[in-house]
Amino acid sequence: MTTPKPASTQAPIQPPRQLGKRLLNLLIIVIIVGMHVYGWRVTEIDLAKLAHPPINLKTMVSDFLHPDLFSRQQKSARVYVPFIVPCDSDLKPQGSVGHGLTLTPTCGQTGAEVAIVLEDARPNTAGRLNWRFPQGSSTLLRKFTTNETGRFEASVAVPQAPLGQEKGQQGAEVILEWEEGAMRLSETARAVADRMLETIFLALMATTFGVLLAFPVSFIAARNIMTTNPVGTAIYYITRLILNLLRSVETLIWALIFIVWVGIGPFAGVLALILHSAASLAKLYSEAVEAIDPGPVEAVRATGAGRFQTVLFAVVPQVIPQFIAFTVYRWDINVRMSTVIGLVGGGGIGFLLIQWINLLQYRQAATAVYAIMIVVASMDYFSGWLREKIT
Amino acid sequence: MPALLEVKNLTKIYEDGTRALTDVSFSVQKGEFVVLLGLSGSGKSTLLRCINRLVEPTAGEIIFDGRNTTTASFQELCQIRRDIGMIFQQFNLVKRSSVLRNVLSGRLGYVDTLRSTLGLWSAADMRRAHGALKRVGIPEKAYNRADELSGGQQQRVGIARALMQGPKLVLADEPVASLDPVLSHSILQYLEALNKEDGVAVICSLHIPTLARRYASRILALNAGILMFDGTPKLLDNAKFKEIYGQDAESVEEEGRA
Repeated sequence: MTTPKPASTQAPIQPPRQLGKRLLNLLIIVIIVGMHVYGWRVTEIDLAKLAHPPINLKTMVSDFLHPDLFSRQQKSARVYVPFIVPCDSDLKPQGSVGHGLTLTPTCGQTGAEVAIVLEDARPNTAGRLNWRFPQGSSTLLRKFTTNETGRFEASVAVPQAPLGQEKGQQGAEVILEWEEGAMRLSETARAVADRMLETIFLALMATTFGVLLAFPVSFIAARNIMTTNPVGTAIYYITRLILNLLRSVETLIWALIFIVWVGIGPFAGVLALILHSAASLAKLYSEAVEAIDPGPVEAVRATGAGRFQTVLFAVVPQVIPQFIAFTVYRWDINVRMSTVIGLVGGGGIGFLLIQWINLLQYRQAATAVYAIMIVVASMDYFSGWLREKIT
Repeated sequence: MPALLEVKNLTKIYEDGTRALTDVSFSVQKGEFVVLLGLSGSGKSTLLRCINRLVEPTAGEIIFDGRNTTTASFQELCQIRRDIGMIFQQFNLVKRSSVLRNVLSGRLGYVDTLRSTLGLWSAADMRRAHGALKRVGIPEKAYNRADELSGGQQQRVGIARALMQGPKLVLADEPVASLDPVLSHSILQYLEALNKEDGVAVICSLHIPTLARRYASRILALNAGILMFDGTPKLLDNAKFKEIYGQDAESVEEEGRA
C-alpha cells in the first residue's frame, strides 16, 4: 500500500485471544471422535464379515428370489414287476404286475442284464426307475423321461442287494410324477393371504378404536380449550403427561405386555396398537384443535351455548379435515406396525414370517416378505392419495 | 324504567398488564342505537366483550336486564348471553359448516345439549332460521358452505345468527371494518332495522365518525380505555372530535420527530 498511514505506533488490531474457545472446540471434537470410536466397538462393526458371507447366504438369496407362490396338483403313477433271484428258486412271484412294464428275463443272478421296457405310459413325463430288494428297500437306477408315445427302454444290470437279501423276490419299479391342472396358489401363498387379511384388519381395528379413544381426549389435551380455568389447566397437563408416557413406549413393547395379559395372538397386537395409536392421534388431534380460528368459538360462546355445544359447533367442524388426514396416516402406520407385531406374538403376518425364518424356510419367508412389501406400499400410496383428496 | 344495561366503573387490565379500560360507566336504555367510537386499541372490543363476559372484567359491575353478569354462574351467564346477540368484524362464521347450521347455532342457548348434538332441530327453529336468512336477504344460500359467500353476505349470516337468539341487545364489534365501504351502509341498515322494527338495543363500535353520526341515537367515545364522551351525535361535532383524539395525533407527530 502506498497510502501514507497516520503516524501511529499502535500495533494493528489483533483479534481477541481465543485460546480458551479453541481449546473448547478441540475438546468437543475429541469427545465426538471418542464417542464414535467407542460406538464402533460397542456395536461390533466388522466390515470383514460383510465381505465374507456364509455359504447359506447364497441359498437364502436364491430362495428369496423364488418365493413360494404357485403350485399345481401333484400326481404320480407306480408300476412294479417282480424279478426272481436266482432262476432255479421255487419262489412264486408276488405283488402287482405293472401294466405296460416288462422285464426280460424275469429271473437271473445279481449282475445279469435285464431289458426293461415301459409302454403306453403317460408321454413326456419324468420318472424314476428303482430296483427293489426282498425286504422292501430300493435303489435308484436312473431318472428318465418318457417319449411322446409314452415309452421308455433301458438295459440294466441287477444291482448288488444288501447283505443277506441276495436271494428272493426283487423287482423293478417305475414311478412317474407329473403336475396336473391349472396353476394354483401354493399352500404358503394361501396362508400368507390369510394372515395378511388378519394383519390388515388388525390395523383397521386398532385404528378405529384408537380414533374413538383419541377423539374425546384430544379436546382435553388442547391448550386453547382447557386452560380457561385452573381445573381445566390441571387436567390438560395431566392428560399431556399421560399421552407422552404412553407414546414413549414402543408398540412392540406394549404387545409383549399385552401378550402376558391376554395371551399370544392378534388380540394382544390390537390392544398394543390401540394404545399407541390413541396416544399418538390424541397428540396430533389436539394440535389441530389448538390451531383453530378462535373467532367462531367466541361467536358460539356468545350465543349462550354450553361448553360441549361450543366444542361441537365451533371446534369440531374446523378440525374434521385434519382429523381425517391424521387418521388415514395412522392407519398407514398401523398396517406397517401390524406386519411386525407378529414377530413378538401379536398376530398377523409377522407371526408366520418369524416361524419360517427360524425354520430356514426362506422361500416361504420370501412370500411373506413380498406380501408385506406389496400391502405396505399400496397402503402408502392409497393413504397419500386419500389425504390429498381430503385436504 | 330501569336501564336495559348498566355498566358501572368497569376496569379491565389484561394479564400482561395492558390497561384496556379504566373506570367506564354508562347505561343503555331499551331501543337505543349506541355507537361506540374510538381509534383501534382504544378499548372498544374489550368493552363489548366484557358486557357478555367473553372477556372477564377486572373490576366493576355490569347489570343486564336486572341480572348481574359479573357475578353470574356459568349457567346464569349462558341465560344472559342468550339475550345478547353479537356480530363480529371477522364475521366469525364456521367456514366449513353450512350457512343454515351457522344460523341455527344462534339458537344453541335454547336447545339442550343432546338434541343439538344429534342435530334434532325443532320445526320452529328451522322456520326461524329460514326466516332470519330471508330477513337479511339471502334465503337461497341456506345450504351453501359459509365460506362460499362474499364478505357482505357472511356478515348478513352473522346478523341472522344474532336474530336467532331473539336478543334484547345486539353488540356489534366493528361490523363493517372488513367490508367494502359501499357495503357498510347495507349492513348497518340491517342493524338499524333490527333496532327500529324489533326495538332491540344496539351497541355498535365504529371508527368512522360520519357513519357514527348517521346511525347513532347516542355516541360513546373511548380513548385509551377512558370514556371521553357520552351524548347525542349532534354534540359530537368535528371540534369535539378533535378535542378527544387530536392530542393523540399530535403526540404521535412529536414522537416521529424525536
